[in-house]
Amino acid sequence: MTTVGQERALVLSVRGLRKSFHRGLPPRRRTIEVLRGANLEVRGGELVGLVGENGSGKSTLMQIVVGLLKRDGGEITPPGRLGYCPQSPMAWDKLTVSEHFALFAEAYQLDEARSQAAESSLLEELQFASYRDFRVEELSGGTRQKLNLALALMHEPELLLLDEPYAGFDWETYVRFWEMSERRRESGMGILIVSHLLAERERLSRVYSLTDGRTVEG
Amino acid sequence: MSGFGAISGNFLREQIRAPLNLVLLVAIPAFFVLIFASVLGEFAEALGGDLARQSATAISAGWAAAFLCGALSYFQVSSSREADRRLALAGLGPRRVATGRIAASLALGVVVSVVAYLTLWLRSGVAHPLHVAAAIFIFAAIYIGVGALIGTLVRGPLEGSLLVVLVFSLDVFSGPAMTSSGGFGNFTPTNHAANLLIAGGGGQGSPTSDWIGGAAIAFGGLLVALVAFFLSARGRG
Repeated sequence: MTTVGQERALVLSVRGLRKSFHRGLPPRRRTIEVLRGANLEVRGGELVGLVGENGSGKSTLMQIVVGLLKRDGGEITPPGRLGYCPQSPMAWDKLTVSEHFALFAEAYQLDEARSQAAESSLLEELQFASYRDFRVEELSGGTRQKLNLALALMHEPELLLLDEPYAGFDWETYVRFWEMSERRRESGMGILIVSHLLAERERLSRVYSLTDGRTVEG
Repeated sequence: MSGFGAISGNFLREQIRAPLNLVLLVAIPAFFVLIFASVLGEFAEALGGDLARQSATAISAGWAAAFLCGALSYFQVSSSREADRRLALAGLGPRRVATGRIAASLALGVVVSVVAYLTLWLRSGVAHPLHVAAAIFIFAAIYIGVGALIGTLVRGPLEGSLLVVLVFSLDVFSGPAMTSSGGFGNFTPTNHAANLLIAGGGGQGSPTSDWIGGAAIAFGGLLVALVAFFLSARGRG
Protein backbone atom coordinates (compact mmCIF):
# COMPACT_ATOMS: atom_id res chain seq x y z
CA MET A 1 0.00 0.00 0.00
CA THR A 2 1.41 3.43 -0.96
CA THR A 3 0.53 6.94 0.09
CA VAL A 4 0.62 9.96 -2.22
CA GLY A 5 0.74 13.34 -0.44
CA GLN A 6 -2.43 13.97 1.52
CA GLU A 7 -4.38 11.48 -0.56
CA ARG A 8 -5.72 8.27 0.87
CA ALA A 9 -3.55 5.19 0.51
CA LEU A 10 -3.68 3.39 -2.81
CA VAL A 11 -5.18 -0.06 -2.26
CA LEU A 12 -5.30 -1.22 -5.89
CA SER A 13 -3.38 -0.14 -8.94
CA VAL A 14 -3.90 -1.75 -12.36
CA ARG A 15 -1.70 -0.56 -15.24
CA GLY A 16 -1.81 -1.68 -18.89
CA LEU A 17 -3.57 -4.95 -18.17
CA ARG A 18 -3.79 -7.30 -21.15
CA LYS A 19 -5.53 -10.64 -21.48
CA SER A 20 -6.49 -12.88 -24.42
CA PHE A 21 -8.32 -16.17 -24.52
CA HIS A 22 -7.72 -18.89 -27.09
CA ARG A 23 -10.76 -20.92 -28.05
CA GLY A 24 -11.32 -23.99 -30.23
CA LEU A 25 -8.95 -26.28 -32.08
CA PRO A 26 -7.21 -25.67 -35.43
CA PRO A 27 -8.43 -24.80 -38.00
CA ARG A 28 -11.19 -23.10 -35.98
CA ARG A 29 -8.80 -21.79 -33.32
CA ARG A 30 -9.60 -18.19 -32.42
CA THR A 31 -7.91 -15.66 -30.19
CA ILE A 32 -10.16 -13.24 -28.35
CA GLU A 33 -8.45 -10.14 -26.99
CA VAL A 34 -10.51 -9.19 -23.94
CA LEU A 35 -8.28 -6.63 -22.21
CA ARG A 36 -5.97 -4.39 -24.26
CA GLY A 37 -4.35 -2.16 -21.68
CA ALA A 38 -6.89 -1.54 -18.92
CA ASN A 39 -5.97 0.88 -16.12
CA LEU A 40 -7.67 1.68 -12.86
CA GLU A 41 -6.93 2.56 -9.29
CA VAL A 42 -8.78 2.47 -6.00
CA ARG A 43 -7.80 4.31 -2.83
CA GLY A 44 -8.86 3.58 0.73
CA GLY A 45 -12.25 5.17 1.47
CA GLU A 46 -13.26 5.23 -2.20
CA LEU A 47 -16.25 3.52 -3.77
CA VAL A 48 -15.30 3.01 -7.40
CA GLY A 49 -17.47 1.62 -10.19
CA LEU A 50 -16.43 -0.37 -13.24
CA VAL A 51 -19.11 -0.64 -15.91
CA GLY A 52 -19.24 -2.24 -19.32
CA GLU A 53 -21.48 -4.25 -21.56
CA ASN A 54 -21.87 -7.99 -21.17
CA GLY A 55 -18.69 -9.66 -22.38
CA SER A 56 -16.63 -6.46 -22.16
CA GLY A 57 -14.10 -8.10 -19.80
CA LYS A 58 -15.17 -6.71 -16.40
CA SER A 59 -15.24 -10.09 -14.68
CA THR A 60 -12.00 -11.10 -16.42
CA LEU A 61 -10.31 -7.99 -15.03
CA MET A 62 -11.58 -8.77 -11.57
CA GLN A 63 -10.54 -12.42 -11.78
CA ILE A 64 -7.03 -11.36 -12.76
CA VAL A 65 -6.86 -8.96 -9.82
CA VAL A 66 -7.84 -11.68 -7.33
CA GLY A 67 -5.56 -14.28 -8.92
CA LEU A 68 -8.12 -16.57 -10.52
CA LEU A 69 -6.69 -15.85 -13.97
CA LYS A 70 -3.19 -15.11 -15.22
CA ARG A 71 -2.56 -11.88 -17.08
CA ASP A 72 -0.73 -11.66 -20.40
CA GLY A 73 0.76 -8.29 -19.56
CA GLY A 74 0.52 -5.20 -17.39
CA GLU A 75 1.07 -4.53 -13.73
CA ILE A 76 -1.12 -4.99 -10.67
CA THR A 77 -0.39 -3.76 -7.16
CA PRO A 78 -2.91 -5.53 -4.93
CA PRO A 79 -3.58 -4.78 -1.25
CA GLY A 80 -2.48 -6.96 1.64
CA ARG A 81 -6.02 -7.92 2.59
CA LEU A 82 -8.43 -8.47 -0.26
CA GLY A 83 -12.10 -9.41 -0.06
CA TYR A 84 -13.60 -10.96 -3.17
CA CYS A 85 -17.32 -11.36 -3.78
CA PRO A 86 -17.73 -13.25 -7.08
CA GLN A 87 -20.67 -12.83 -9.44
CA SER A 88 -22.14 -16.22 -8.59
CA PRO A 89 -21.65 -17.53 -5.06
CA MET A 90 -18.70 -19.92 -5.13
CA ALA A 91 -19.92 -22.07 -2.24
CA TRP A 92 -20.45 -25.71 -1.30
CA ASP A 93 -24.09 -26.71 -1.71
CA LYS A 94 -24.07 -29.29 1.10
CA LEU A 95 -22.42 -27.13 3.76
CA THR A 96 -24.28 -24.79 6.09
CA VAL A 97 -23.86 -21.03 6.38
CA SER A 98 -21.96 -21.49 9.67
CA GLU A 99 -19.66 -24.10 8.15
CA HIS A 100 -18.80 -21.65 5.38
CA PHE A 101 -17.88 -19.01 7.96
CA ALA A 102 -15.70 -21.59 9.75
CA LEU A 103 -13.82 -22.52 6.58
CA PHE A 104 -13.21 -18.92 5.57
CA ALA A 105 -12.16 -17.99 9.12
CA GLU A 106 -9.47 -20.65 8.69
CA ALA A 107 -8.44 -19.16 5.34
CA TYR A 108 -8.30 -15.62 6.77
CA GLN A 109 -6.48 -16.89 9.89
CA LEU A 110 -9.06 -15.43 12.28
CA ASP A 111 -9.01 -16.78 15.79
CA GLU A 112 -12.16 -18.25 17.34
CA ALA A 113 -13.26 -14.99 19.02
CA ARG A 114 -12.76 -12.82 15.93
CA SER A 115 -14.40 -15.41 13.72
CA GLN A 116 -17.48 -15.63 15.97
CA ALA A 117 -17.72 -11.85 16.24
CA ALA A 118 -17.45 -11.40 12.46
CA GLU A 119 -20.02 -14.11 11.80
CA SER A 120 -22.55 -12.72 14.27
CA SER A 121 -22.14 -9.13 13.15
CA LEU A 122 -22.44 -9.92 9.42
CA LEU A 123 -25.43 -12.22 9.93
CA GLU A 124 -27.05 -9.39 11.84
CA GLU A 125 -26.07 -6.62 9.44
CA LEU A 126 -27.25 -8.52 6.35
CA GLN A 127 -30.23 -9.93 8.25
CA PHE A 128 -29.91 -13.63 7.60
CA ALA A 129 -29.07 -14.92 11.09
CA SER A 130 -32.03 -17.31 10.98
CA TYR A 131 -30.34 -19.18 8.13
CA ARG A 132 -27.16 -19.90 10.09
CA ASP A 133 -27.79 -23.67 10.11
CA PHE A 134 -29.23 -23.91 6.60
CA ARG A 135 -27.29 -25.60 3.84
CA VAL A 136 -26.50 -23.44 0.81
CA GLU A 137 -28.70 -25.66 -1.39
CA GLU A 138 -31.64 -24.69 0.86
CA LEU A 139 -31.11 -20.93 0.50
CA SER A 140 -32.84 -18.60 -1.96
CA GLY A 141 -30.73 -16.79 -4.56
CA GLY A 142 -30.78 -13.57 -2.54
CA THR A 143 -29.69 -15.25 0.69
CA ARG A 144 -26.89 -17.04 -1.13
CA GLN A 145 -25.75 -13.67 -2.38
CA LYS A 146 -25.77 -12.34 1.21
CA LEU A 147 -23.55 -15.25 2.25
CA ASN A 148 -21.33 -14.56 -0.75
CA LEU A 149 -20.91 -10.96 0.38
CA ALA A 150 -20.47 -11.83 4.05
CA LEU A 151 -17.63 -14.25 3.25
CA ALA A 152 -15.80 -11.47 1.42
CA LEU A 153 -16.17 -9.10 4.39
CA MET A 154 -15.29 -11.42 7.28
CA HIS A 155 -11.70 -10.27 7.64
CA GLU A 156 -12.36 -6.51 7.14
CA PRO A 157 -10.35 -6.28 3.91
CA GLU A 158 -8.51 -3.15 2.76
CA LEU A 159 -10.12 -3.58 -0.66
CA LEU A 160 -13.48 -5.18 -1.37
CA LEU A 161 -14.10 -6.39 -4.92
CA LEU A 162 -17.75 -6.85 -5.76
CA ASP A 163 -18.72 -8.50 -9.04
CA GLU A 164 -22.41 -7.81 -9.83
CA PRO A 165 -23.06 -7.94 -6.07
CA TYR A 166 -26.76 -7.20 -5.86
CA ALA A 167 -28.08 -9.73 -8.39
CA GLY A 168 -30.93 -11.51 -6.61
CA PHE A 169 -31.35 -8.90 -3.86
CA ASP A 170 -34.84 -7.63 -3.09
CA TRP A 171 -35.30 -3.85 -2.73
CA GLU A 172 -34.78 -3.77 1.04
CA THR A 173 -31.57 -5.76 0.79
CA TYR A 174 -30.44 -3.61 -2.13
CA VAL A 175 -30.87 -0.46 -0.02
CA ARG A 176 -29.16 -2.12 2.94
CA PHE A 177 -26.30 -3.17 0.66
CA TRP A 178 -25.60 0.45 -0.32
CA GLU A 179 -25.83 1.62 3.30
CA MET A 180 -23.41 -1.09 4.30
CA SER A 181 -21.03 -0.12 1.48
CA GLU A 182 -21.17 3.51 2.63
CA ARG A 183 -20.31 2.49 6.19
CA ARG A 184 -17.37 0.44 4.99
CA ARG A 185 -16.16 3.29 2.81
CA GLU A 186 -16.36 5.74 5.71
CA SER A 187 -14.27 3.38 7.80
CA GLY A 188 -11.52 3.54 5.13
CA MET A 189 -12.17 0.45 3.06
CA GLY A 190 -11.66 0.75 -0.70
CA ILE A 191 -14.51 -0.77 -2.70
CA LEU A 192 -14.62 -1.64 -6.39
CA ILE A 193 -18.04 -2.53 -7.77
CA VAL A 194 -18.22 -4.21 -11.15
CA SER A 195 -21.58 -4.17 -12.89
CA HIS A 196 -23.13 -3.92 -16.34
CA LEU A 197 -25.61 -1.47 -14.80
CA LEU A 198 -24.72 1.01 -12.05
CA ALA A 199 -27.85 2.86 -10.98
CA GLU A 200 -26.39 4.63 -7.93
CA ARG A 201 -23.66 6.67 -9.60
CA GLU A 202 -24.02 9.54 -7.17
CA ARG A 203 -22.73 7.30 -4.41
CA LEU A 204 -19.52 6.51 -6.31
CA SER A 205 -16.22 8.36 -6.05
CA ARG A 206 -15.35 7.49 -9.64
CA VAL A 207 -16.60 5.31 -12.49
CA TYR A 208 -14.54 3.55 -15.14
CA SER A 209 -16.11 2.29 -18.36
CA LEU A 210 -14.58 -0.73 -20.03
CA THR A 211 -14.86 -0.55 -23.81
CA ASP A 212 -12.84 -2.46 -26.40
CA GLY A 213 -10.62 -3.82 -23.64
CA ARG A 214 -9.64 -0.36 -22.34
CA THR A 215 -10.89 1.62 -19.37
CA VAL A 216 -12.10 5.19 -19.66
CA GLU A 217 -12.64 7.28 -16.54
CA GLY A 218 -15.74 9.39 -16.28
CA MET B 1 -10.99 -29.18 16.33
CA SER B 2 -7.68 -28.24 14.64
CA GLY B 3 -7.67 -26.19 11.45
CA PHE B 4 -6.78 -29.19 9.33
CA GLY B 5 -9.47 -31.31 11.03
CA ALA B 6 -12.08 -28.61 10.44
CA ILE B 7 -11.20 -28.31 6.75
CA SER B 8 -11.11 -32.03 5.95
CA GLY B 9 -14.13 -32.64 8.22
CA ASN B 10 -16.19 -30.13 6.25
CA PHE B 11 -15.02 -31.62 2.94
CA LEU B 12 -16.02 -35.09 4.14
CA ARG B 13 -19.37 -33.82 5.42
CA GLU B 14 -20.05 -32.30 2.03
CA GLN B 15 -19.80 -35.75 0.42
CA ILE B 16 -21.74 -37.81 2.92
CA ARG B 17 -24.62 -35.31 3.04
CA ALA B 18 -25.63 -36.29 -0.49
CA PRO B 19 -28.36 -38.91 0.06
CA LEU B 20 -27.60 -40.61 -3.26
CA ASN B 21 -23.99 -41.14 -2.19
CA LEU B 22 -25.15 -43.00 0.92
CA VAL B 23 -27.53 -45.19 -1.11
CA LEU B 24 -24.80 -45.99 -3.63
CA LEU B 25 -22.37 -46.75 -0.82
CA VAL B 26 -24.52 -49.76 0.06
CA ALA B 27 -26.05 -50.51 -3.33
CA ILE B 28 -22.86 -50.65 -5.42
CA PRO B 29 -21.02 -53.26 -3.28
CA ALA B 30 -24.23 -55.27 -2.98
CA PHE B 31 -24.73 -55.18 -6.75
CA PHE B 32 -21.12 -56.03 -7.56
CA VAL B 33 -20.65 -58.79 -4.98
CA LEU B 34 -24.08 -60.38 -5.09
CA ILE B 35 -24.97 -60.04 -8.79
CA PHE B 36 -22.00 -58.91 -10.87
CA ALA B 37 -19.68 -61.58 -9.44
CA SER B 38 -21.84 -64.43 -10.67
CA VAL B 39 -21.56 -63.28 -14.29
CA LEU B 40 -17.96 -62.11 -13.99
CA GLY B 41 -16.67 -65.71 -14.12
CA GLU B 42 -18.65 -66.38 -17.30
CA PHE B 43 -17.32 -63.20 -18.90
CA ALA B 44 -13.79 -64.20 -17.94
CA GLU B 45 -14.25 -67.62 -19.51
CA ALA B 46 -15.62 -66.06 -22.70
CA LEU B 47 -12.66 -63.64 -22.86
CA GLY B 48 -10.13 -66.43 -22.28
CA GLY B 49 -9.51 -65.84 -18.58
CA ASP B 50 -9.53 -68.33 -15.74
CA LEU B 51 -11.39 -66.57 -12.94
CA ALA B 52 -12.78 -69.07 -10.44
CA ARG B 53 -16.15 -68.39 -8.77
CA GLN B 54 -14.66 -67.69 -5.33
CA SER B 55 -12.11 -65.31 -6.80
CA ALA B 56 -14.74 -63.62 -8.94
CA THR B 57 -16.75 -62.85 -5.80
CA ALA B 58 -13.66 -61.49 -4.06
CA ILE B 59 -12.51 -59.32 -6.97
CA SER B 60 -15.99 -57.85 -7.38
CA ALA B 61 -15.58 -56.28 -3.90
CA GLY B 62 -12.43 -54.60 -5.19
CA TRP B 63 -14.23 -53.35 -8.29
CA ALA B 64 -17.05 -51.99 -6.14
CA ALA B 65 -14.55 -50.03 -4.03
CA ALA B 66 -12.77 -48.81 -7.16
CA PHE B 67 -15.95 -47.67 -8.90
CA LEU B 68 -17.30 -45.86 -5.85
CA CYS B 69 -14.01 -44.14 -5.05
CA GLY B 70 -13.49 -43.12 -8.68
CA ALA B 71 -16.96 -41.58 -8.87
CA LEU B 72 -16.77 -39.88 -5.44
CA SER B 73 -13.32 -38.52 -6.10
CA TYR B 74 -14.37 -37.23 -9.52
CA PHE B 75 -17.38 -35.41 -8.09
CA GLN B 76 -15.33 -34.07 -5.20
CA VAL B 77 -13.29 -32.15 -7.76
CA SER B 78 -15.95 -31.28 -10.30
CA SER B 79 -18.66 -30.09 -7.90
CA SER B 80 -16.36 -28.13 -5.59
CA ARG B 81 -13.84 -26.66 -8.01
CA GLU B 82 -15.06 -23.05 -7.84
CA ALA B 83 -15.59 -22.97 -4.07
CA ASP B 84 -12.23 -24.66 -3.42
CA ARG B 85 -10.56 -22.08 -5.64
CA ARG B 86 -12.17 -19.22 -3.75
CA LEU B 87 -11.09 -20.72 -0.44
CA ALA B 88 -7.53 -21.12 -1.70
CA LEU B 89 -7.51 -17.50 -2.90
CA ALA B 90 -8.92 -16.28 0.40
CA GLY B 91 -5.67 -17.34 2.02
CA LEU B 92 -5.85 -21.06 2.64
CA GLY B 93 -3.75 -21.76 -0.47
CA PRO B 94 -4.07 -24.67 -2.89
CA ARG B 95 -1.71 -26.87 -0.86
CA ARG B 96 -3.91 -26.84 2.26
CA VAL B 97 -7.08 -27.25 0.21
CA ALA B 98 -5.50 -30.27 -1.52
CA THR B 99 -4.41 -31.89 1.75
CA GLY B 100 -7.93 -31.37 3.14
CA ARG B 101 -9.38 -32.99 0.03
CA ILE B 102 -6.98 -35.96 0.11
CA ALA B 103 -7.77 -36.54 3.80
CA ALA B 104 -11.50 -36.53 3.02
CA SER B 105 -10.92 -38.87 0.07
CA LEU B 106 -8.89 -41.26 2.20
CA ALA B 107 -11.61 -41.31 4.86
CA LEU B 108 -14.19 -42.04 2.17
CA GLY B 109 -11.88 -44.69 0.69
CA VAL B 110 -11.68 -46.43 4.08
CA VAL B 111 -15.48 -46.32 4.52
CA VAL B 112 -16.06 -47.63 0.99
CA SER B 113 -13.47 -50.40 1.50
CA VAL B 114 -15.07 -51.42 4.81
CA VAL B 115 -18.53 -51.61 3.21
CA ALA B 116 -17.17 -53.64 0.26
CA TYR B 117 -15.28 -55.92 2.65
CA LEU B 118 -18.34 -56.49 4.85
CA THR B 119 -20.49 -57.26 1.80
CA LEU B 120 -17.93 -59.81 0.67
CA TRP B 121 -17.71 -61.29 4.16
CA LEU B 122 -21.51 -61.64 4.34
CA ARG B 123 -21.67 -63.18 0.86
CA SER B 124 -18.92 -65.76 1.01
CA GLY B 125 -16.77 -65.30 4.10
CA VAL B 126 -13.14 -64.15 3.96
CA ALA B 127 -10.33 -66.66 4.40
CA HIS B 128 -7.48 -64.14 4.63
CA PRO B 129 -9.01 -61.03 6.22
CA LEU B 130 -5.99 -58.69 6.24
CA HIS B 131 -4.84 -59.77 2.81
CA VAL B 132 -8.28 -59.14 1.29
CA ALA B 133 -8.87 -55.88 3.20
CA ALA B 134 -5.53 -54.47 2.04
CA ALA B 135 -6.21 -55.49 -1.57
CA ILE B 136 -9.65 -53.85 -1.55
CA PHE B 137 -8.14 -50.63 -0.18
CA ILE B 138 -5.50 -50.68 -2.93
CA PHE B 139 -8.33 -50.70 -5.48
CA ALA B 140 -9.93 -47.75 -3.68
CA ALA B 141 -6.69 -45.73 -3.49
CA ILE B 142 -5.92 -46.22 -7.18
CA TYR B 143 -9.35 -44.97 -8.20
CA ILE B 144 -9.18 -41.96 -5.88
CA GLY B 145 -6.34 -40.93 -8.19
CA VAL B 146 -8.21 -41.83 -11.39
CA GLY B 147 -11.34 -39.89 -10.34
CA ALA B 148 -9.44 -36.80 -9.17
CA LEU B 149 -7.30 -36.72 -12.32
CA ILE B 150 -10.33 -36.90 -14.62
CA GLY B 151 -12.10 -34.30 -12.47
CA THR B 152 -9.21 -31.90 -12.97
CA LEU B 153 -8.92 -32.46 -16.71
CA VAL B 154 -12.59 -32.71 -17.71
CA ARG B 155 -14.99 -29.93 -16.68
CA GLY B 156 -18.32 -31.28 -17.91
CA PRO B 157 -19.97 -33.60 -15.35
CA LEU B 158 -21.45 -35.84 -18.07
CA GLU B 159 -18.22 -36.19 -20.04
CA GLY B 160 -16.20 -36.67 -16.86
CA SER B 161 -18.40 -39.33 -15.33
CA LEU B 162 -18.53 -41.20 -18.66
CA LEU B 163 -14.74 -41.11 -18.82
CA VAL B 164 -14.52 -42.57 -15.29
CA VAL B 165 -16.83 -45.39 -16.41
CA LEU B 166 -14.79 -45.93 -19.59
CA VAL B 167 -11.49 -46.20 -17.69
CA PHE B 168 -13.14 -48.49 -15.17
CA SER B 169 -14.62 -50.74 -17.88
CA LEU B 170 -11.32 -51.00 -19.75
CA ASP B 171 -9.59 -51.81 -16.47
CA VAL B 172 -12.13 -54.49 -15.46
CA PHE B 173 -12.33 -56.26 -18.78
CA SER B 174 -8.62 -56.09 -19.63
CA GLY B 175 -7.31 -57.22 -16.24
CA PRO B 176 -5.28 -60.39 -15.72
CA ALA B 177 -8.23 -62.41 -14.47
CA MET B 178 -10.47 -61.53 -17.40
CA THR B 179 -8.23 -62.10 -20.39
CA SER B 180 -5.67 -64.62 -21.57
CA SER B 181 -2.16 -63.89 -20.30
CA GLY B 182 0.01 -61.10 -21.66
CA GLY B 183 -0.85 -57.98 -23.65
CA PHE B 184 -2.62 -54.90 -22.37
CA GLY B 185 -3.87 -56.64 -19.20
CA ASN B 186 -0.43 -56.49 -17.61
CA PHE B 187 -0.46 -52.68 -17.75
CA THR B 188 -3.88 -51.89 -16.29
CA PRO B 189 -3.70 -49.80 -13.08
CA THR B 190 -5.28 -52.49 -10.92
CA ASN B 191 -3.28 -55.42 -12.32
CA HIS B 192 -1.42 -56.12 -9.04
CA ALA B 193 -4.45 -55.36 -6.87
CA ALA B 194 -6.50 -57.85 -8.91
CA ASN B 195 -3.83 -60.53 -8.49
CA LEU B 196 -3.80 -59.89 -4.73
CA LEU B 197 -7.56 -60.09 -4.40
CA ILE B 198 -7.87 -63.19 -6.59
CA ALA B 199 -5.25 -64.94 -4.47
CA GLY B 200 -6.77 -63.75 -1.19
CA GLY B 201 -10.27 -64.70 -2.31
CA GLY B 202 -9.05 -68.18 -3.20
CA GLY B 203 -7.40 -68.58 0.21
CA GLN B 204 -3.87 -68.35 -1.16
CA GLY B 205 -0.91 -66.09 -0.45
CA SER B 206 0.49 -63.55 -2.91
CA PRO B 207 4.04 -63.04 -4.17
CA THR B 208 5.98 -60.07 -2.80
CA SER B 209 6.09 -58.52 -6.27
CA ASP B 210 2.30 -58.11 -6.24
CA TRP B 211 2.40 -56.50 -2.79
CA ILE B 212 5.16 -54.09 -3.76
CA GLY B 213 3.54 -53.34 -7.14
CA GLY B 214 0.09 -52.86 -5.61
CA ALA B 215 1.38 -50.61 -2.82
CA ALA B 216 3.44 -48.54 -5.27
CA ILE B 217 0.49 -47.98 -7.62
CA ALA B 218 -1.84 -47.18 -4.70
CA PHE B 219 0.69 -44.63 -3.40
CA GLY B 220 1.02 -43.27 -6.94
CA GLY B 221 -2.78 -42.99 -7.18
CA LEU B 222 -2.94 -40.96 -3.99
CA LEU B 223 -0.05 -38.78 -5.15
CA VAL B 224 -1.84 -38.15 -8.47
CA ALA B 225 -4.98 -37.25 -6.52
CA LEU B 226 -3.03 -34.82 -4.32
CA VAL B 227 -1.55 -33.08 -7.37
CA ALA B 228 -4.96 -33.05 -9.11
CA PHE B 229 -6.63 -31.48 -6.06
CA PHE B 230 -3.82 -28.91 -5.89
CA LEU B 231 -4.11 -27.96 -9.56
CA SER B 232 -7.88 -27.78 -9.33
CA ALA B 233 -7.74 -25.44 -6.31
CA ARG B 234 -5.06 -23.28 -7.94
CA GLY B 235 -6.55 -23.24 -11.44
CA ARG B 236 -5.11 -20.18 -13.13
CA GLY B 237 -5.95 -20.08 -16.84
